[in-house]
Amino acid sequence: MSLAVSRTLCKIFSRQTTTPSSFGIGGDCHVRGPWFASVLTLKTSAPLRAEPKKKKKVDPRREQLVRERLKKKLKKLEKVPPELIPIEDFVTPTKCMDETRVRSSPQLSFEESERRALLLKEWSRYKQTQHQAEMEAVGMAVEAQREALEQLRLESEELYQAALRPDPLLFPFNHQGPSYTPPKAQYEAPEGKYNNITKVYTQ
Amino acid sequence: MAAPCSKIVSRPWWQFIKNVGWTGLNQTVVRQLSRNNACGAAAQTKSKTERIPSQWKLHGAVCLQRLPVISQERNPIEDQFAELIHQMELERSLVSEHELRLLEDAERVRRKQAEDYDSDEEAEYGDQETITALDQEDAWEQKLKKFQLAPRVSDLEDDHQSVGRCLGDSLVLLTEETLGQEKVWLLPQVPWQAGETLRQTAERALNSLPEADFKATFLGSAPCGVYRYKLPKAVRTESCQGAKVFFFKALLSGHPPPSQNGPFRWVKKSELPDYLKPAYLEKVNRFILDL
Repeated sequence: MSLAVSRTLCKIFSRQTTTPSSFGIGGDCHVRGPWFASVLTLKTSAPLRAEPKKKKKVDPRREQLVRERLKKKLKKLEKVPPELIPIEDFVTPTKCMDETRVRSSPQLSFEESERRALLLKEWSRYKQTQHQAEMEAVGMAVEAQREALEQLRLESEELYQAALRPDPLLFPFNHQGPSYTPPKAQYEAPEGKYNNITKVYTQ
Repeated sequence: MAAPCSKIVSRPWWQFIKNVGWTGLNQTVVRQLSRNNACGAAAQTKSKTERIPSQWKLHGAVCLQRLPVISQERNPIEDQFAELIHQMELERSLVSEHELRLLEDAERVRRKQAEDYDSDEEAEYGDQETITALDQEDAWEQKLKKFQLAPRVSDLEDDHQSVGRCLGDSLVLLTEETLGQEKVWLLPQVPWQAGETLRQTAERALNSLPEADFKATFLGSAPCGVYRYKLPKAVRTESCQGAKVFFFKALLSGHPPPSQNGPFRWVKKSELPDYLKPAYLEKVNRFILDL
C-alpha cells in the first residue's frame, strides 16, 4: 500500500513540476521532482521497515499467559495415577516357565504306591492321637488353674482380685526356640558384610 | 441399712395380707422379709468372714521350667514320613540351576570322551579349566566337615543336678525341704506374708533359694495349680487346719551356670514320680506340660 501511495505521489509531483529545479537530491531525483526523493526515503527508512511499535506493558502479560497455559497442560499430563507396586510373590518368575526344567516324573511300581498310601494313613492316625493327647493335657492344665483360682477366692477376695489383674510387663515376650544342635559355648561368629538386595519401589 | 428397706418393701405386702387374709401368704411374707434381711445382712456377713482369719495357711510356690534347647529325636514313623515327604517333593519340583549345571557338565564330559571329539566346538567356553559343579560340591562338603557342631547328647544326661541335661525335654526345678520330721522333695515354696500378692511370694521363693540366681519370667499373676493338705491331728489347732500351696509358672531365661551346688534337681516329667509324693504328684502333674 505504501508503494501505491508513493507512486501516486510521484505522478502528482511530476505533473506539477515542469521546470528543472536546483535542489538536486539524488541521481534520478532531479528529473522527477523534489518531493519524489522524500517519498522514496519514506519507503526505505528504518521506522517503516520495522514492525509497528507495541506498548511495553502488554508484552510481559501475554508471555505470562502463554507460560501459564503451558504449565497447566504439563500438570494435566503429569496427573497420571501412580503405578501399582508389583507383589513379587504373585509374579511367577520366567525361570519357572522354562520347559527344559520340567523333571521327568518316575513311574511308581504298584508296591511303592501302596506303601506310600499306607504310610500316609498311619501318619494321620499317629497325628490324631498326638493331637488328642495335647488337647487333653491343655484341658487338664486349664482345669487345674480354675480350681486354684476357686480355692484362692475362698481364701481371700483381695488376693483373688490381685491374681486376676493382667501383668503389663509380660508382653512383649521373646523366647529362643529349639534348634537342631545346642549353641556352642564361646563361639565367635566370623565377620562379614550384609548386602541387602531387596528391591524398593517408590510411587 | 437393711431394716428400712424391708419396711418399705413389706408395707404393700401387709396391706395385701390385711385385705386378703393370712392363709398361705404368711409364709411368703415371712420369706420376703427374711430374704430382705439376708440381702441386707449379706454385706455384714462378708465383712465378718474377712475379719475371721481363714483356717488354712497360704504358701506360694514356683514351678520353674527350662524349656527344651534342641529338637527331640524322631520316632521311627516320623523318620519314615519325613523321608517320604522329601521324596515326593523332589519328584514334584522343577530342575534347579545347580542341577542343570551338573547335567551340562556331565554332557560335556561325555562329549569329550566320545571318539569324534572336536575341540573347536568348545571354543566358545574359552579356557578349559572351568570349575565344574561337582568340584564346587566337594569344596562345600569339605568346608562343612571342618566346622565343629556342639553335640546333641552331652555327658550330663544322668546328672540330675545340672541344667544342661536332656536338652530335648523341658525340665522342672525341685528342692528338698524338711517338713516336720522328714525330708521331702518339693517345688520351691515359701509361706505367704501379709501385704504381698501371691505372685510376689512365689518370686520370693525363687530368690530365697540358696546359691542360685535364676533369671525367670513369671507367666502372669494367676496361680496355675493348688495343693491342699491338712496337718496331722496332733499339730492341728483351731486357727490352723492345714495349708494351701499355690503354684506359679515361670520360665527360665538366659543361661544359668552349668552346675549349681545345693539341694536342687532338674527333673523331667517322666522322672517326677521318683521324687514326689503321690498326692502331691497328682496335683502337680496336671499343670506341668511335657509338650
